[in-house]
Amino acid sequence: MSRLRRELANAPIPGEHEARVRAWEVVSAAFAEREPTPWRRRHLRPLAAAAVAFAVVGAAFSPPGGAVLHSLRKAIGVEHAQRALFRLPAPGRLLVESAEGPWIVQADGSKRLLGPYRDASWSPHGLFVAATRRDELAALEPGGDVHWTLSRRDVAFPRWTGSRTDTRIAYLTGSRLHVVGGDGRGDVDAGGLPAAARVAPAWRPGARRLIAYADTTGRVYSYDTDHGSLEWRSRPFPHPRLLTWSDDGAILALLTSDRLVLFRGAQPSVIPLAGAVDAAFEPGSHELAVVRPAEVLLLDADRPSVRPRLFAGAGPFAGAAWSPDGRWLLVAWPAADQWVFVRTAGPRRLEAVSNISTQFGGSFPQLAGWCCG
Amino acid sequence: MAGSGRDERARIRGAQSGVVSDLDALFRRHWPAAFRAAYLVVHDAAAAEDIAQEAFLAAVRALDRFDRRRPFGPWLHRIVVNRAIDWTRARALRREVGGDAVPEAVAPEHRPDDGTVVALLSNLSPEHRAVIVLRYLLDYTPGEIAELLDLPRGTVNSRLRRGLDALQEHA
Repeated sequence: MSRLRRELANAPIPGEHEARVRAWEVVSAAFAEREPTPWRRRHLRPLAAAAVAFAVVGAAFSPPGGAVLHSLRKAIGVEHAQRALFRLPAPGRLLVESAEGPWIVQADGSKRLLGPYRDASWSPHGLFVAATRRDELAALEPGGDVHWTLSRRDVAFPRWTGSRTDTRIAYLTGSRLHVVGGDGRGDVDAGGLPAAARVAPAWRPGARRLIAYADTTGRVYSYDTDHGSLEWRSRPFPHPRLLTWSDDGAILALLTSDRLVLFRGAQPSVIPLAGAVDAAFEPGSHELAVVRPAEVLLLDADRPSVRPRLFAGAGPFAGAAWSPDGRWLLVAWPAADQWVFVRTAGPRRLEAVSNISTQFGGSFPQLAGWCCG
Repeated sequence: MAGSGRDERARIRGAQSGVVSDLDALFRRHWPAAFRAAYLVVHDAAAAEDIAQEAFLAAVRALDRFDRRRPFGPWLHRIVVNRAIDWTRARALRREVGGDAVPEAVAPEHRPDDGTVVALLSNLSPEHRAVIVLRYLLDYTPGEIAELLDLPRGTVNSRLRRGLDALQEHA
């Protein structure tokens, strides 16, 4: 038994030290957010302010490869949180969605509410926004005018693809995947595929009109909408949450409740990753930002076993969106009522904006895309 | 187990009142065993990190309600080992339900094949790994293991016996 005890206690574990460092960052960040109950009840507002200060002072970066956090902090330039969104730090327009509906935020910080819609997403070149109401799919102009509508039951998750002259919108009606032309015509049920999970379908970038969607068992399908043929399907990955492509169309990422699955064609690589809530590929690369409750990871999808942390703090964080030039990552932080812009290109830098809810009608908005610089 | 006694109660009290150095002391004392126990059950370092990290986050969230008279280690180890067993079962299930027309590659479970006890352990079921780890890494008695895993003591004893037999058989 002594040999058994000795070997169990001393067996080498890959990355043991790095795991301890990462875990302490996450645990101590969660602890910093927590305060003993009586104090917290008396000081809700100061706590939020403390969280803001923590975000600015305590946020931590690490580059790919996971270098030592402390040495990097010295190299980070930090600005204090702004009281309002005066401008976006990069070109492009931001689409977000509050309880009142979708808003478009211009680079100069001006905002426009599009109306009582939901599930908003950009058209490929940012000329329109696809959105839904209960039983209606709508194409909206950025000024808020309705371009066309299509009545279907229980419409959700419209996603638009194509060129400037020929586009398609994939969406769910109930549990059916449908595809309609960008002019609102030619709506079809996509091939009688199995019932879809409540996950937005994702068009593969490129000339072919291939759509990836997840069914209720968590199988992922790649479907050619022009030819009505199934390219491939995966085995089930239960509890799917999100599908997103790298913009060269080489890698499809699937987030489930407890893992990240990276598909190259039909071949999945499975990475255990509990609790991730959002993921987005950096434009023009295979770097994937993954949002977890207390951290944002920046994974190289070509080397997914390495999981450097881009940003950590007292979450929970809710979502992320890349600027069109790929230089800034916007992280939504509803608990602190903040957006945190993280510059990932060049010298690391944070810009935080507070009071987000009050700027969008009183509810903290979800990020729906940063388009078209 | 290390970490019991008056000092640990003082650390828990300090952490409950917001002293980060006391949380740090608890983390330093309990992280290595929690991470190692998870790894020896799941045989996947990334999953072990997630499991142990989630257990500590659960501890932080429950800190205000934690009864200082109870030892911290067993409470943490219960979470870690049960989650590790669940994770390993879930992976096994997912592997079995594959087999579509389309070939698939799934990240293989890391199974060291070097004749060490750790390598031999990977031949056991997660339930058997768990009792071996609790008994011979974390030094719990069979009675304590029964309580941690909510099992009859006889089941724990039989799993220990079968687990040890299997280790010797494969050695």
